[in-house]
Amino acid sequence: MILKDEPYDAIVVGSGITGGWAAKELCERGLRTLVIERGRHVEHGKDYVTEFLQPWQLAHRGRGEQELYQRDYPIQSHNYAFGETTRHFFVSDREHPYVTPDDKPFRWIRGYQLGGRSLIWGRACWRWSDLDFTANARDGHGVDWPIRYADLAPFYDHVERFVGVSGERLGLPHLPDGEFLPPWQMNCAESVVKRGLERAFPGRHMTLTRVANLTQAHLGRGPCQARNQCARGCSFSGYFSSLSATLPAAQKTGRLTVITDAIVHSVIYDERRDRATGVRVIDAKTQATREYFGRIVFLCASTLGTAQILLNSKSPRFTTGLANSSGEVGHNLMDHISKAGARGVVPGLEDKYVYGRRPTGTYIPRFRNLGVRGEAKVGFLRGYGVQAGAGREGWSRGADEPGLGVELKQRLREPGSWQFSLQGYGECLPRHENFADLDPARTDPAGMPLLRVHCAWSDNERAIREDVKTQGAQMLEAAGCRNVVTYDDDGPPGFSVHEMGTARMGKDPKTSVLNAYNQAHDVPNLFVTDGACMASSSCVNPSLTYMAITVRAVDHAVSELQRRNL
Amino acid sequence: MIDRREALRRTALALAGILAGCKARRTPAAAWRPRALDSDQAELLATIAEHILPETDTPGARAVGVHQFIDALVAESYGAEERQRFLAGLAALDGRAFLARPAGEQLALLRELDRAGDPFFRSLKELTLVGYYTSEIGATRELHHAPVPGRYDGCVPLAQIGRTWAV
Repeated sequence: MILKDEPYDAIVVGSGITGGWAAKELCERGLRTLVIERGRHVEHGKDYVTEFLQPWQLAHRGRGEQELYQRDYPIQSHNYAFGETTRHFFVSDREHPYVTPDDKPFRWIRGYQLGGRSLIWGRACWRWSDLDFTANARDGHGVDWPIRYADLAPFYDHVERFVGVSGERLGLPHLPDGEFLPPWQMNCAESVVKRGLERAFPGRHMTLTRVANLTQAHLGRGPCQARNQCARGCSFSGYFSSLSATLPAAQKTGRLTVITDAIVHSVIYDERRDRATGVRVIDAKTQATREYFGRIVFLCASTLGTAQILLNSKSPRFTTGLANSSGEVGHNLMDHISKAGARGVVPGLEDKYVYGRRPTGTYIPRFRNLGVRGEAKVGFLRGYGVQAGAGREGWSRGADEPGLGVELKQRLREPGSWQFSLQGYGECLPRHENFADLDPARTDPAGMPLLRVHCAWSDNERAIREDVKTQGAQMLEAAGCRNVVTYDDDGPPGFSVHEMGTARMGKDPKTSVLNAYNQAHDVPNLFVTDGACMASSSCVNPSLTYMAITVRAVDHAVSELQRRNL
Repeated sequence: MIDRREALRRTALALAGILAGCKARRTPAAAWRPRALDSDQAELLATIAEHILPETDTPGARAVGVHQFIDALVAESYGAEERQRFLAGLAALDGRAFLARPAGEQLALLRELDRAGDPFFRSLKELTLVGYYTSEIGATRELHHAPVPGRYDGCVPLAQIGRTWAV
């Protein structure tokens, strides 16, 4: 069945963090916009069905259903936010398969629903800097970014003003300040560690994570209630998501249409006009196919989702996938290394505690390879930032300590020692051999060619991992921590949920997919503004940069439409 | 989209629901039937759990139904292999002989297992802690619980909070 709908001014594929932004900006600029989401409809508030459940109201008290997780969620269940109260915002791996070689696991964490992963994201908001945008040009890995910090700065401003980012101004050139709400507070133990490590390592800093949790009411949203249960959804709109913020703003214009349960199969390309004219979708419930038409198409379907759509959009001109004359679509897949670091005990402070559950931690900005005079030489390129935080041990420590009976119960009535833990997030080099492609024979249950992901860390990422551990331990020891140990947990690519790079921006159409405005070199009215567009990975969380890039691309698309160039 | 007042109303309703639901749902001990365990095993589990976290000025593990939580977990959450391992571990404790001993001897035996770091006992202890401190009594009477704190204060006197946070 083929249904022809009216032509929209713009079609946005995906409703996650970039799809929401594209919808808001396009609608506010006067374009009638269709947002297509492959997952189910989720209504802000009403569908946060576990939001107010207390521990004793959970069937398995937060322990979940292990057998079900092993069968249906073997990958998703590794994510820190996955659990008994949030499982419904993650995909079933069994229903949504992809494949990897046996020796190259890739953990693709996904949320197929209106709002996408903006419901379950980590909410850290860092600007990238020219240390990041010039990295490829300086060391020769990947291709040079076609933009610099100055190109994005006004769009970072715009995005931060709307999102509501709490944070502290540091004045660091490699982690630019922005428009911040007041930061969260450090707890007593973190303040001690901050003082100790900043004294021992001049030039290093520890700050509060800049985070999209509202420390004060903002544009009718929030404030955050300090529950730290964000991934259940938040009726207070205490954190930024497509559902709490961008889609309502788009809705308000009267120009937004949203359809859900519609899986984009491919982009329709008109060879005669050399334009994308719309998208072909598969109805997730009936498997019926339909087409939607629009003057411009924004792909915001996630790094791997967008690659899958482009590779599946084949035509006589684009036999290996739409906008793929460079052959780079699907390639240069990156993620951040994480899950390695150090832990220790902060002595004393037995008479101090916290009130409330802060929804974020502390952060030690990058201090390696900054290009400053006199810095230490290290055996790797690029760098890492450190996510950290302290808390007092709670009742669960009793399971690991000997003791039982009245004495145990009395002991657990009071909190235990202050534990400090840190982990590095390290930059990954763009490498052609890390890529996704389509299985030529097999399809997923929806009928899409099965995505194959081939991705592994290189020696540079492994060297960063080692430095995180040694430096982490040294900083904790210098700050007076006791029982300092390093750790290194299994962390295949994908796990940090910062996957990016499969349709990179660049100056040269022969080596990149998108231009400086996220326009496909090959197809001028096709834009990609999700993580696929990234030419390098920085070491800081990428979402804020995706958002700023999306707004900039919309700005360009709208003016090009007005000039009748699209 | 809902506003803050509506969200607060829902919180209040949810909390009221917790209290009401809890009373309504609490199964009288006599009416409860274990699903993964037999009744002797359930009694053994309740007895051991009560030794681990006994009644003091607040109720103990048996009163909050820790054994019921563990039974539900083993029946619904565990895979076949894990369930078999759990039941085998329980069988090895020789429940009938254990229950026939006086309470003091039971406790001494469990202390021995605990000190030796017996893996099955340690896992029972962990499950007992989870079941107890996530129960309403464990979280709100034995410990301290704030469903919606409303703010974060990073450095307050412990005396002001008084007890370990349940969550």
